[in-house]
Amino acid sequence: MSKIKILLIEDDNILNNYLADLLIKSGYDVGQCFDGISGLKRAQTKDHQLILLDKMLPKLDGVSLLKTLRETSQIPVIMVSAKGAEEERILGLSHGADDYIAKPFNSRELLLRIEGLLRRSQPILAPVSLGELSIDGLTLNATKQIVHVEEQQIEVTTIQFKLLWELVSKQYQTVSKADLYQSVLNKKLGAYDRSLDMHLSRVRRKLNEANWLGERLQTVHGKGYCFK
Amino acid sequence: MKKQKLWKLCLIIATGLVAFFYILSVLTTSTEEGMSFISEKDRAQLKLWGKEAERLYLVGDKKQLNNWLTVLKTQENIWVAVASFNIEHIAGEKLKERLHGGQHFGRDVDWKIHLYFEKNPTMELQFNQVNASFLIELPARMRPGSYWLTTRIIMQILLPMAILILLATLLYRHIITPLQQLENATSAFSKGNFDVRVRKLLGDRNDELSHLASTFDQMAIRIGELISNQRQLISDLSHELRTPLTRLDIAVNNFESKNSRHHIDRIARESLHIRKLVEDTLTLAWLENEKPIIKIEKVDLVDLLDVVIDDAKFEFPDRDLKFNSPTNAVINNSSHQALCPALENIIRNALRYTPVSKSVVVHLYLDAGNYCISVSDKGPGIPEKYLDKVFNPFFRVENSRIAENDSFGLGLALAKRHLISVRAKITAVNQQEGGLRVMITIPIH
Repeated sequence: MSKIKILLIEDDNILNNYLADLLIKSGYDVGQCFDGISGLKRAQTKDHQLILLDKMLPKLDGVSLLKTLRETSQIPVIMVSAKGAEEERILGLSHGADDYIAKPFNSRELLLRIEGLLRRSQPILAPVSLGELSIDGLTLNATKQIVHVEEQQIEVTTIQFKLLWELVSKQYQTVSKADLYQSVLNKKLGAYDRSLDMHLSRVRRKLNEANWLGERLQTVHGKGYCFK
Repeated sequence: MKKQKLWKLCLIIATGLVAFFYILSVLTTSTEEGMSFISEKDRAQLKLWGKEAERLYLVGDKKQLNNWLTVLKTQENIWVAVASFNIEHIAGEKLKERLHGGQHFGRDVDWKIHLYFEKNPTMELQFNQVNASFLIELPARMRPGSYWLTTRIIMQILLPMAILILLATLLYRHIITPLQQLENATSAFSKGNFDVRVRKLLGDRNDELSHLASTFDQMAIRIGELISNQRQLISDLSHELRTPLTRLDIAVNNFESKNSRHHIDRIARESLHIRKLVEDTLTLAWLENEKPIIKIEKVDLVDLLDVVIDDAKFEFPDRDLKFNSPTNAVINNSSHQALCPALENIIRNALRYTPVSKSVVVHLYLDAGNYCISVSDKGPGIPEKYLDKVFNPFFRVENSRIAENDSFGLGLALAKRHLISVRAKITAVNQQEGGLRVMITIPIH
């Protein structure tokens, strides 16, 4: 299998080289660009599987670059920003990027983000197992989108149903938050976004209220969730 | 309150000036009238001459009368005569009785003299007993109104001019004085004096200019606050950065390859510390300067607290964390991304200061249109005098030797500003039975 190619667009020479080293060590192929114009040209060649894009660039800034690029390409882009990162996170601005990472960032976090984004951008095999799941008195009907505990029906929203379905159908597997965001909420995992966790807490509460053990939906800290 | 100045100006200039000129015109007319009469003394003199003429006429000595008239004519250098007439009925009705009385040849001495006639009028003094009159051209020395021209210039030109100049000066000072004060303040402000205020210099006036002054003051307060916050933040940040940078330097300098794992960990820890410090400071600066109000979603506080508490239990498994709440607590127009770091910080703080195996209680309840979250710990609390300062950036209780890596005195400051961005309030109180209680009040709508 050929190496995955990542395009680095970052104007700081030293950081650009550090990142290139890091990515090469982690087994990627790396292309380097140091300004917006040449970055856009290289990006449009469609030689790469992922772009790491700095927001502040000479000649053409990252946001405009991405806007132009998005007219022709859906390549996964991680935007690197130094300024106002928190503001953008809280207000949920993404400028069309698939993920967002703020300077200063740490290399492990960056690698995880790249890995996650690459995985998510692979064509997802649609879950065809529609129908009914039933475990220890908990029944999920996918066509009617209803949940029963024994004979008692539990009111759930579409999102809560999807979330429960995803976890129950993958019993004993840890499903990562990034994957759940994509499959359940159809959006990217943001750094401060806890909406998925909140939905999960609500599902747990509802199961507990119906005298079913909600704690079987376990939190795997730092990774995701697992139904046991 | 709108257009105060306009109404004031209308009142002064339009109404005031019309009234002023009306009064002036009435005054001029009456003064002219007053000045048109022959003086008492001269009137008496004229009447005396009339009597003398009648006496001489009645005596019947025409020569003596003529002599007297000639003397008078020379003396006063005027025209004098005595005349009479007979009435002849020509046609029409019978004549009325009183035709002989009244003036026929000239003016009565008690009438006013037209000051605008160049020539002096002829005065007529009727004889009492016979149908004849003594006629005399008014002597120049008796002509009234010799000061009328001067008076008219004063009343119609000088007086209105003086009053209009006075009015213009007053208006100018009324408008320009505050503008000058504003200008002084603005230039002082531009030179870096952020304490300058204008409103109080304008006294109790309430108009456009005083509103401008109030607006200026608000601007001055806001900018002054912003700049001093900024300075404080930069100075605090650079101060706080010294410690981890020094530690990082030492770790790098003492790096030994045989114990590399240990040194790398230290370096990583310090770098993380610096990174968090910079990140938090930037966030704080943003929240402080922009003061954003975030209203993007509905949040169920129960769900959010469940998440935060779940994490906290994992992080502090040896403390007891209790959570009392209703099953739902939905607030509108909020943001869980702003609420979450604040709640995380406060609950984590409570757990950190609570001794092992003691409990922290989180209580969520509804109170008068707000949801309240109280977080009570079993820690040492905070000295009363510092209670309102703990939310200031980089504030640390003196001698607090809790040198944990992620404690910079930024946590509560950030939490407070995150909460403000979703219109929530936060206070801290010491509990009677010991420990700190942090109260958060979040509006439902």
